[in-house]
Amino acid sequence: MKRPFQKLTYLYLLIGLGMTLFLVHCGLTALTVTVPTQAKANEIATFYMHSGAEPQIEEPNTYTTQLLAGIMVPKSWNARKNAVLTYTSSKGNGTLRMIPDAETEPVSGLSWHEAAKKMFGIGPNLIDDFEWIIYRSTQSFTFVNNEHQTADLSFDVKVECRVGPENMLASLGFYVGSSIENLRPEDTDYKKYTFSNPLEIIEGEGDLIDFVNPQLGTVQPVKSLDNDIVTLTFDAGVTNTDLDDMDEIYLSAKAFDETGQLLDEITTRDDKTKLTDVGGKKFILDLWPRGYFNIQKESRIAKLEYFYTDATGTKKVGYGNTDEPFTYTFRCE
Amino acid sequence: MHMKRLSHWVFTVLSLITLSSCEEEMSNIVTDETAKDVTGNWKVLKLTRNGEDLSKRLDLNDFQISFKTDGTYSLSEQLPFVVNDAGNYTLSDPQFPFSLILQPEGETTEVPVKFQFPVVKGKRQLSLTFSLGCSSNTYQFDFERQN
Repeated sequence: MKRPFQKLTYLYLLIGLGMTLFLVHCGLTALTVTVPTQAKANEIATFYMHSGAEPQIEEPNTYTTQLLAGIMVPKSWNARKNAVLTYTSSKGNGTLRMIPDAETEPVSGLSWHEAAKKMFGIGPNLIDDFEWIIYRSTQSFTFVNNEHQTADLSFDVKVECRVGPENMLASLGFYVGSSIENLRPEDTDYKKYTFSNPLEIIEGEGDLIDFVNPQLGTVQPVKSLDNDIVTLTFDAGVTNTDLDDMDEIYLSAKAFDETGQLLDEITTRDDKTKLTDVGGKKFILDLWPRGYFNIQKESRIAKLEYFYTDATGTKKVGYGNTDEPFTYTFRCE
Repeated sequence: MHMKRLSHWVFTVLSLITLSSCEEEMSNIVTDETAKDVTGNWKVLKLTRNGEDLSKRLDLNDFQISFKTDGTYSLSEQLPFVVNDAGNYTLSDPQFPFSLILQPEGETTEVPVKFQFPVVKGKRQLSLTFSLGCSSNTYQFDFERQN
């Protein structure tokens, strides 16, 4: 009874060894991207990914796969609905389709989109309001050993995406991979990803949302309502201000409703308004706006205007280190 | 050679018998899952926002939710929560609930909340997941029962 199991074990070992040899010697070339420095809000922008295949396959001498390509863009672009990905290559041209959410990436057990977010992160962006979206080519490709030595196996992926209504400065993420692989951390051959130089969206709505440069004051989550718990951060390391070397930083804030009417103003300096020093010259304050300002049931806070002050309240810092207050508008879209 | 073939057949038949007997045993097991009892006072142990732990940064010591045997619940103080007022509660299923349904007094709308009831270090925890403002922001409250 022992022998069939032994044979099975040998078979698994052989398959494992074969797969290892097969995987070690094949891969993709470095990924480069072409992204404009500016794009107009609500218009379609075009980005390109450039890469290629290097099939050094020992066994079984051919490798058949589909192309994976991914983008990391601001959530507000709604790219899942409006991005279109196509590719051109010496092996043919075609389209890529978004991988369904229900399909899991084998290593992480997450959807491919969540797995990519977990693995690649948000690159040089400092505020997280981005989503990774992974696509797969509808066609398959077969490579033979050392094919790249005699043929051009480079390919380009074209991304066309409407960029959303907001003015912003953001670095975008890009990924190419092979469908029969996974996102295992140690692999550097089959997953290539990079982040673009900052892209500025112009002629759109609202103040510039700067994801790339350190900000004196930020609010997380980027999208929230007055019943969310928000975290206000003052980063004293960004530039020299009147609050340099202060041990205690306080919030001085006003809450307005949709009509612009002042609902409440809190300028006291006490435990409630004191920010917590979290190191690295950063101070944070977590607050539930409705409770912080004691808002009545029928009222809604639409906007906050605020400054950061010292313990005496005489020194204060506003948006961009000016006398203008920081502003935060509560919204989900 | 003949013996080898015979042994394979015996092995296959025995395996099938074993498997089929397992199936019968499984179908005969009576599921005796107890109804989930959430009554009592529950205190916040952990609060996460989009996976980020906020419990050490926010003072949640005074926030409690109480579930009574008469099907009512109450909140100890005003804090960010999926409902603001006391009311009635039900579980989506007495034995295998996947949501806790809250209905604040005077309101007709029921508020379903994702419900988990894990045992952690020998103690039941009540874990409720919901959004407070934007649906893109998810909060998970983990409660422990107060004695």
